[in-house]
Amino acid sequence: MSDLAKEKAARLLKKRGSLSSLGSHEVRAKEAFAKTKDSISTVSYMEEPGHHDDIPRPAVQMENTYQLRPARRFPVLTVKDILKDVLTSYLQEEKYEPELCRQMTKTISEVVKARVKDLMIPRYKIIVIISIGQIRDQNMRMGSRCLWDETNDNFSSHTFKNSSLFATATVYGVYFE
Amino acid sequence: MDEDQSAEEVTDTKIIIAVESTIGNSSYQHSKINQWMSGIVESSLSQLTKLGKPFKYIVTCIILQKNGAGLHTASSCFWDNSTDGSCTVRWENKTIYCIVSVFGLAI
Repeated sequence: MSDLAKEKAARLLKKRGSLSSLGSHEVRAKEAFAKTKDSISTVSYMEEPGHHDDIPRPAVQMENTYQLRPARRFPVLTVKDILKDVLTSYLQEEKYEPELCRQMTKTISEVVKARVKDLMIPRYKIIVIISIGQIRDQNMRMGSRCLWDETNDNFSSHTFKNSSLFATATVYGVYFE
Repeated sequence: MDEDQSAEEVTDTKIIIAVESTIGNSSYQHSKINQWMSGIVESSLSQLTKLGKPFKYIVTCIILQKNGAGLHTASSCFWDNSTDGSCTVRWENKTIYCIVSVFGLAI
């Protein structure tokens, strides 16, 4: 019986993920209860980790898909072609003007998002970032770092330049598990 | 929604701290720019991971020399509004502009 209780305690410790000495004291106290009320104690422990979550859960509950990998990966080269296409067609002849470029950034980001959505890649979330700036003998550096799943998520980017302005477009595709 | 707002404020503060600790009072120096960029992005990302939430993060940083030139940035996102969010912080001193954007996507 004590072996069974110890096994349960080990499983509970793994579920809770806490290895502090406080945790072990709790487990020992609960072992005593476990001997008298076996089935009830295990059920209550399994529900408790859910209550410790601070993150607000979304209203929609989704079923398991049992799908480990995406059906179609994020098509980096296709998206780069889209970016090249859109940036060249919208900005080839333009000069830098504050009002025009303000509108242009918003329009281009919407257009790129719509075209990437048209590719219909299931279960991918898309983030499009467009920057348009004036060329004025200054230096600029853009960098980004991502914390995601290397095998499923990817990004694609393109830069366009003409005599008075430059434009950078980056699209991140993140798989929704 | 209140929780979301306070989480954004917390993220805001953390990013500002990360930027200040890296660039702080420096003037624009071309040789150091690489270092600054990696420093800011890495410290922001590590601060975010310390929060321990089930999110994938994308951190973008733009460092610009103050030269009278204009810059416009826009972003458009296709995601789940109830669980995902973004936050952008603009920081400046006498010679540098720094824009840091953080996108958080729920798993």
